[in-house]
Parts: sequence; structure tokens; C-alpha cells
Amino acid sequence: MKHFWKGTLAAAIIGFAAASMPVQAADETVCGTDRSIDIAEMSWPSAAALARIHAFILENGYGCDVEVVSGDTVPTSSSMLSRGSPAIAPELWTSSIEKQWTEAINEGKVVKLSDAITDGTLEGWFIPRYVQEAHPDLKSVADVIAHPELFPDPEDPTEGRLYSCPPGWACEISTSALFEAYDMAEAGWNLFSPGSGGALDASIARAFLRNEPILFYYWGPTSILGKYDAVPLDMGPVDAEIYACNTNPDCDQPSRKTAYPSSPAIVGAAAWVPEDAPVVADYFAKVGLTNDEISALLVYGDENKADAAATAENFLRERKDVWTTWVPDDVAAKVEASLG
Amino acid sequence: MFPEFVDTRPLRRAVDDALNWVVANWGGAFEAAARPLLGLLNAIQFALLATPWWVIIALVTLAAWLATRQWKLPAIVFAALIFLGVMDLWEDAMITTALMIAATLTAIVVSIPVGVWMSRSLRVRQVITPILDLMQTLPSFVYLIPTVMIFGPGKIPALLATIVYAAPPLVRLTDLGLRSVDPAVIEASRAFGANPGQRLLGVQIPLALPTILAGINQTTMMALAMVVIASMIGAGGLGYQVLQGIGRLEVSRGLFAGLGIVVLAIIFDRVTQSFGKQLQARIGLQEVRI
Repeated sequence: MKHFWKGTLAAAIIGFAAASMPVQAADETVCGTDRSIDIAEMSWPSAAALARIHAFILENGYGCDVEVVSGDTVPTSSSMLSRGSPAIAPELWTSSIEKQWTEAINEGKVVKLSDAITDGTLEGWFIPRYVQEAHPDLKSVADVIAHPELFPDPEDPTEGRLYSCPPGWACEISTSALFEAYDMAEAGWNLFSPGSGGALDASIARAFLRNEPILFYYWGPTSILGKYDAVPLDMGPVDAEIYACNTNPDCDQPSRKTAYPSSPAIVGAAAWVPEDAPVVADYFAKVGLTNDEISALLVYGDENKADAAATAENFLRERKDVWTTWVPDDVAAKVEASLG
Repeated sequence: MFPEFVDTRPLRRAVDDALNWVVANWGGAFEAAARPLLGLLNAIQFALLATPWWVIIALVTLAAWLATRQWKLPAIVFAALIFLGVMDLWEDAMITTALMIAATLTAIVVSIPVGVWMSRSLRVRQVITPILDLMQTLPSFVYLIPTVMIFGPGKIPALLATIVYAAPPLVRLTDLGLRSVDPAVIEASRAFGANPGQRLLGVQIPLALPTILAGINQTTMMALAMVVIASMIGAGGLGYQVLQGIGRLEVSRGLFAGLGIVVLAIIFDRVTQSFGKQLQARIGLQEVRI
């Protein structure tokens, strides 16, 4: 009896492999599913551009029925794990939805196809490179904290100003905790909340345009870090436990020092994708990009006022060396042909 | 789809480059020019925060009593202020009030002369009315981000944005009030030999005062309506609490801070309106309908 089951299981596996074989072995690579692949286009630029790139390749290279739907971290992930749609989220930051996401993976509702950003995401405190060149001793957070006079607060020039994170974002809590842990108020610093992502970007742009010093919280890959030459300050080692306590309002221990952990940005997919559309899942297993590649992509969009679709097309034209490694040759040829 | 006649990207790039040029070359000068406004705001904020809470409650309740000579409004005002204190919103409410008062004062100084000018010349009116429409309808974020780049983030752009949004009703109502003064009264004052300055200050403005006060009332309300948006560029105060509440999905925090804004609005609206009514009664005019 035992053998019988093992046998059927093996047969089933072989059968399954054989069934999917012809797709792989045929001369032409095809999508392999009739289901419409809906790709979530998140509200931030890098995820939007990635969604457009993948949609273009899947549609024109593999002949899939692709739809780009707009989304955001929480609504997209919850709809993905409750309804299996959108099928793909090309840049999903799971740290803010960690609990639900891990549960959903364990229940087999969603899968991680690969890392969207291969060298990890960047988060920390930055100063412009020209400031560091003028003051080469400013390497770590402690070095900068010793010199509040180099980063004066315009509303109170006797103190230094640290540009924090917009209200309500997780980074606001972690940055405030670090401000406390480093005793920055004692050292003559103000924690300034820019109030919104747009205002933070505008403040950074102003400082760089005027060659003024600025100490700010930021994260990457983003067009801001691609466009302006900022150096991250050395924040010491990452301690996940301290970070978890710092960001948890219920943790009663005083805030302590730690660097920001690199949060994973993955290609997330509904569980049916690897089952019903193995070719698509295979494709997404290889599509990771580095921080620098994504930042460069965003700078093009920013400088040329291009929308996500135009940014994606430019990437496909300019970075053939990157994306042709993701796909078989015949798909690459088809994508190139449709680029015109 | 509308056919694409011209590529708008060079134009958009030119606008962005122009802004960048202004920021790089004139950013410091603009920031210095706005310093007096910042000084005014900081002084009001300092005064409000340095005054003990019970003095402020007593003064505002007294003002409400003086405005109505009844006990109903002072009771409401007293309860509203206690609510702010109990809900731990006092400091934020004072920061917000300071922003609103500074914006309203600046708006009064700028708007009333413009309103007077508009009421005297049809051409000026034709030019300024569309500008006022623009100020009221252009989505705030469109000019907020450039203002942050030009003036630096914080209270200055927040104050400017609030003034831009709150000033138009006062300009319009000053203009309307002055135009609605009975021509016969003007004629009579002219017959008595009043010169234009005397006519304006001694006849027209006093008679238009209820309408102008209605404008000031509108301006305070519009300034309060901008509180949340002003917080998005670093103004702090109650709006910041609302933003935090939204961002962290803490409905309670957003709700209480939002109610705090409503409470401030009720206090300022009722008190200024009552003063306006009192004034109308003294002048002996019917309530002006807008």
C-alpha cells in the first residue's frame, strides 16, 4: 500500500513535469496560461516602473494576457492573499505587513518568487557628499552629532536640525527613537518633521540646489538618492531586537542605538502563479535588480518627466545587458521587435 | 485621446529648471524676506504658550460674554477649551491658533486695501477676481512644494499657503461691502464737503464694517481649514496629530485632533460672529446677507 502511494506520487510528479515540459522544450516560449496576469503598479515610482517593465516583457515576449492594476502595499497584499489577485506584486516591502505575509506564505496563499532588489534596500541618515568633502571627519552618526552648528535649523539657528520621516510612517517612530537614543536634544539638535514625503523631498532638493548642509533620513532605491549625491552615515551594527523594541510603542525599555535593518523588497505572487503559470513564475525568479540600477532608472524618469510606462520602455531599450539575462533568446527577440 | 500636437516635456523641464534656478540663486533672499512673518508667528505662538492655560480660558470666555452678554456662548466656549485641555491637545491647539491668528492678521493687512482698491475701479476688479478664483481653486499641493523649495520647509511656507487660501473671501467681502454702501449716503457726505479719504474712512468703511467682519470671520474659518495641509509641510499643531492618526491607522488620535480643530473653529466663529452682530446692532443695520 505504501509503495503504491509512493508510486502514484512519483508518477504524478513525473506526469506534471512532463506536462510542463513541452512548454519549455518547444521552439517558441509561450505564456502557458489563459488566466490574465494582473500586475500591481504601486504608488511609488520604482515599483510602478518595475510593474511596467514586467508587463511589457510578459505581454510582448511571452504573449501573456497582462493587466496592470494600481495598488499599494496593504491593499494589494491583502487582496492577493484573499482573492489571488493581483497575481504579481513586483516590489513588495514585506516588513510593514510581516505578520500577515508570513502567515499567508505558511497557509500557501502567496509565494515569494525572488528578491526585487538583490543587494538589499538602504535606509539611514544621509549628508550631502560636498559636506563630507569639506569636513572629511564626518563619517559616522556620532561625528555629525558632535557638530550641530554645521547643520543649523533655519527657525532656530543655534541648534542643528535632523530631517525626520513623514508622520505616520514606520520610519518616523524608528528615527525619533534613535534621536532619543543618541541624546541629540542634549547635544543641541531639533528633530524636524517635514510633514509629508513631498515636503521632505522638496527640502532635500532645496539643500542640494543651494549647496547647503543638510542631515536627513532617507531610503533607497529612490530617485532622490539617484539624483543627489548623498552619503549614508555609519550607524554601527544592526540589532534586530533593539530595532523591534524602538519601533514598538508598547516596549517600555528606553530607546537604544542601532542601524536600520535592510528591509526585504520581494516579488510577491499569488499561490496560483507557480501552479498555473510556471513559465511566468520562472521568469520572475530571475528579475532582481540592484539599488544602483533602480536609482538610475528613476533618475531617467525624473529628468525626462517620463511616466512609468515611458521609463520602463527606456530601460528596455538601454539596459538590454540586464533584462536579456532574464528571458530565453526568442523572448528577448520578440520584446526587442515590439520596442520598434 | 486628444492628438499630441506638441511635446510638452521641454516646457515642463523649462518650468522645473526655472524653479531650480530660483531656488539656487534666490532661495536665501526669499527666506530672509519672509523672516518678519516668521517673527510675527513665533511671537504669537510664544505668547500663547507662555500664558497659563487658565488665563487664556478666562480671557476667551470673557470675550464670549462681552460679545453676547448672555451665559450660553461663554458656557460653550468654556466647555470647548476644557475639552482641548482634557484631551491633551492644549499645546497643539495653541500652535494651530498661533498659525491661524498670524495668517488672519496678515490677510487683513493685505486684503482690506486690495478690497478697497477693487471697489474703486472696475478694471482692477476685472484683473483681481480671476486671481482670487485661482487662489481658491488651485490644489494647495501644487504651490506648496515649490514654496517649500523656495522658502525652506517649516512655518513660513505653511503660513504663506494659509494666507493664499484664506485671504480671498476677505478681499471679496471688503469689495462687496464698500460697493453696497447706499449711494445716497455717499452723495450726502460729498455734499457736506468730505474729501475722498474722509468719505472712505468716515463713511464707507464704517457702513461696510459688518460685511468686512463677515469676511474676517470667513478668513479665520478658511485658515483653520488649511491646518491639516499646513502640517503636511512642517507646521506642526493639531493638523500634525491628524496626519499621524491617518498614517498609523490610529482612528482615535485623528478623531480627537480633528474634533480639536472643530472646537477651535466653533470658538472663533461664534465669538467673531457675535461681535459682528453687536456691531451691526449698534450701527442699526439689518444683517448683511452674502
